[in-house]
Amino acid sequence: MSNRQHEPASTTNSLADQVRRGWSTFTALFGNDRLGQIGLLLLLGFIFIGAFAPFLAPYDPGEMNRDDQGDILRLDGPSTDHLFGTTQLGRDVFSQVIVGTRVSLLVGVSAATMSVFIGTNVGLISGYKGGYVDDVLMRITDIAYALPFLPFVIVLVVILGADIMNIIIAIALIQWRSTARVVRSQVLSHKERPYVESAYAAGAGDLRVMYRHILPNVLPLVFLYAALAIAWAIIAEASIAFLGFGDPELHSWGQMIYDAYNVDAIRFAYWWVIPPGMSIVLLAMSVFFVGRTLEQITNPELRHRE
Amino acid sequence: MTLLEITDLQTQFETSEGRVHAVDGVNLSLEANESLGIIGESGSGKTTIAKSIVRLLPDNGEIVDGEVRYDGDDITEYSDRQLRKQIRWNEIAVIPQNAMNGFDPVYTVGDQIVEVITAHTDTPNDEAMERAKSLFQTLGIDEDRVHDYPHQFSGGMAQRAMIALALALDPSLLIADEPTTALDVMIQDRILHRIQELQDELDTAMIFITHDMSVVSETCDKIAVVYGGRIVEFADTETIIKNPRHPYTLGLRNAFPSIMTDDQDLVSIPGTPPPLLEPDEGCRFAPRCPFAEERCWSETPQSEPYGDGNTIECHRADEHERIRPEASKSETWREQEEVIEADD
Amino acid sequence: MSFQSYVIRRIGQVIVTYWAFLTILFVLFRVVPGDPVSMHVQDLGAEAREERIAELGLDQPLYVQYVEYLRQLARADLGQSMIYNESVWNIIVVKFWNTIILMAASLILAYAIGILGGALLAWYRGTAFEKGGIVLTLLARSSPEFWTGIVLLGVFVFWLGLFPVGGMRSIGSELATGVGRYLSWDFVYHAVLPALTGAIYFLGTPALLMRNSMLDVLNADFIEIKKAEGLHPWNVLYKHAVRNSILPLVTIAAIAVGMAIGGSVVIETVFNWPGMGRAMVDAVNNNDYQLAMAAFFLMGSVVILMNFVADLLYVYLDPRVTYE
Ligand SMILES: Nc1ncnc2c1ncn2[C@@H]1O[C@H](COP(=O)(O)OP(=O)(O)OP(=O)(O)O)[C@@H](O)[C@H]1O
Ligand code: SF4
Ligand SMILES: [Mg+2]
Repeated sequence: MSNRQHEPASTTNSLADQVRRGWSTFTALFGNDRLGQIGLLLLLGFIFIGAFAPFLAPYDPGEMNRDDQGDILRLDGPSTDHLFGTTQLGRDVFSQVIVGTRVSLLVGVSAATMSVFIGTNVGLISGYKGGYVDDVLMRITDIAYALPFLPFVIVLVVILGADIMNIIIAIALIQWRSTARVVRSQVLSHKERPYVESAYAAGAGDLRVMYRHILPNVLPLVFLYAALAIAWAIIAEASIAFLGFGDPELHSWGQMIYDAYNVDAIRFAYWWVIPPGMSIVLLAMSVFFVGRTLEQITNPELRHRE
Repeated sequence: MTLLEITDLQTQFETSEGRVHAVDGVNLSLEANESLGIIGESGSGKTTIAKSIVRLLPDNGEIVDGEVRYDGDDITEYSDRQLRKQIRWNEIAVIPQNAMNGFDPVYTVGDQIVEVITAHTDTPNDEAMERAKSLFQTLGIDEDRVHDYPHQFSGGMAQRAMIALALALDPSLLIADEPTTALDVMIQDRILHRIQELQDELDTAMIFITHDMSVVSETCDKIAVVYGGRIVEFADTETIIKNPRHPYTLGLRNAFPSIMTDDQDLVSIPGTPPPLLEPDEGCRFAPRCPFAEERCWSETPQSEPYGDGNTIECHRADEHERIRPEASKSETWREQEEVIEADD
Repeated sequence: MSFQSYVIRRIGQVIVTYWAFLTILFVLFRVVPGDPVSMHVQDLGAEAREERIAELGLDQPLYVQYVEYLRQLARADLGQSMIYNESVWNIIVVKFWNTIILMAASLILAYAIGILGGALLAWYRGTAFEKGGIVLTLLARSSPEFWTGIVLLGVFVFWLGLFPVGGMRSIGSELATGVGRYLSWDFVYHAVLPALTGAIYFLGTPALLMRNSMLDVLNADFIEIKKAEGLHPWNVLYKHAVRNSILPLVTIAAIAVGMAIGGSVVIETVFNWPGMGRAMVDAVNNNDYQLAMAAFFLMGSVVILMNFVADLLYVYLDPRVTYE
């Protein structure tokens, strides 16, 4: 019963048809799912903030603000000038949070895209080809599972340099493993279905069967894993920055908490710590909410009555 | 002695489109040791009747009215606990359609029989296991197979094991919901025979649900014909096979070769089962009935007794002598089919 | 395939995986330019550098180094710490157990809550309880371990003053050795918050997976038969529904062990826990590559071992598995 699947996607439909169908699935899914709607709304909010960060931030996040006497405004609590107060070095917390949105979104989306791209291809090839190809690819996946995530990323970042791109690559190098495994098991079950046989009968080659016939059917699952990967990548980047291995050039949320932690300000400077902390949680949560809604395409059993 | 008496049972399902009146005023009675066949098309409410008896309805289903008297007690009034302790499996056991899915895949079949025995009685585990083995023997399965997992059984064997499970506590009533449809014909026959023999040997009453008239005609003492959530005709097997009165029963009979009286071609009843959402007044069979008149569309026929404890719901029940020969002609139904198509 | 040959095949695969893991470790720490070893020696004067390089065997060709590296590991020789001038083994063995105990406590807590909670979420499907439970679960999973830790610190330490701010034992408390270290109230008192932090982060996955898998199982025919059998509802829930739903969680549990071990770097940093994770972060910061490498090596070994155990457990728990 867990195998009850969506219809094999037809590959002969026009693009317009597909877009229309996609849109109606989208409205059907989100239409009656309150959590999904909240998630989507939050996510759009973050994307908006990220896109217009330079215009929305009232100060340069690296600027040391001074008071009327010309002294640096160190650890100043929230005020009308500085909504979320200032840091040890007199920097505006509110502006840093806004600019930090970009970092999280960038890391989330790029790492997820990379890892899902690798994972989908590995899973597809592995499940489809079987035999020793499957064996080799699955052993490589096992190895990715054997590497402890954060320690691996830390070592890699130390070796390659604490640059945001290196952090993204390091995250993706581990994260593809889960997509690879689920896509593979889906492909294994699709491979046996009648539509694959008829594709052969119609003269389709391996590549065509894999990418034109099977892939569209595992795509909903891929999207689901992409959503999860975004959230995990965001959390991973924040953790790495918190440990002090983040890109020092960027004001990421994790980096902000690291700074506060380092000068022992987390005990009292709530204005400095809570905004970035809550931002990470809200962003990751919005992605999980959306992912939960997407999950219903892959497993209609989960559709909840509301 | 009357073992089970159902009066005016109404069971409904709440759905996004409205309330489904799956069982809409059903009356039935069953004597101890008697076997009753319930027959009807898919979706007519057979399973829902069975589940209402043991109150195993899905979350969206509820018994809105009526009584289910078991041994004189209305068990719809029982608390969950009472029902569990006194009725379920002790008195009424169920044999499902697909036995393979009826067993929990992670325990051996023997352990599952032991589980139900020890849950209801003080029998020690090893004695319960002995009982499981002897049940296996009764059903013609090698007793060592109690230690096998369900997936190690073939379909027919699993169905026998399911029957063994059902008999574990010597129930007074067995409800078998299409117990053999998942099996191939040869095995079906053998299992049906075995069920029949066991029922005689063990003095158990039985409700046998199916949409195959030939099956009930061989196995049951009485037959209830269900249409659209109501029992449209209820009679002893001989009457239902030889002299039924309801046009629907007559139509059903034509669809099965073994019990046909005349040597004509098979013809099924044209049209589709009725919608069960908030049904209107009038006979539910009227759109498909070749004998429908004015009043069939506006007045709901009520249950009328005939013969020895039989009942029928049809405005033209009295005209059965004239209707029966008409209904056994295939043209009658073919013409009706054309009428239905013309209406569309 | 019989169970034995299945196990033998899996062992073969594990050995291959393990060898690949060791090789990756070697490459990361020795071969890649900018590796921790080069960073370590570049801080030294020219002469000292030569000496140190020779001492570490780094003047040898790579393949010789590689073979020597494997031989050392085979002898459980993790080398000398570059900073503490002590055998890495001595430094790390206690830290290793500190981490394992903490993470085991976290995971057991997470799985107990996750399985129970997920089962209840499925059982009470469609109610406000389910909705609230799902939101809480997703919230727990959205919060990075360091953030959960900081919030718990803020509430239970800085505000309510109920728990210590960090570390594994109170200053001046009796210094026990061996297992005794973990058998005191003082230890539990220190372990509550870090263990809870991990548990909160880890429980989301088992809870949600359990719920989904339960929803599938609850629709199965056999559940209805078990109800018809008149078994107690709790028996139906735990002996049958939960028992069947748990199967997919076994595989996930191995992955959770991996996450927990890796996550120790964060939790141990927040709570100053003297474990392997924090040792690794410090070692990387100090360019103590032998120590960092040893920590990494132990973490990976545990994960590989747990994956193997989970595979066998799955086969044991599900009689339907054909060994393929
Ligand atoms: N859980 C449910 N929710 C809504 N409607 C239901 C539900 N279960 C059954 N029904 C509806 O109730 C009616 C009777 O169903 P039931 O399963 O009792 O029929 P049946 O006679 O057993 O059919 P079959 O021969 O196919 O088993 C059908 O119209 C069905 O669609
Ligand atoms: S009541 Fe009328 S429509 Fe209904 S079965 Fe009888 S004759 Fe046909
Ligand atoms: Mg049915």
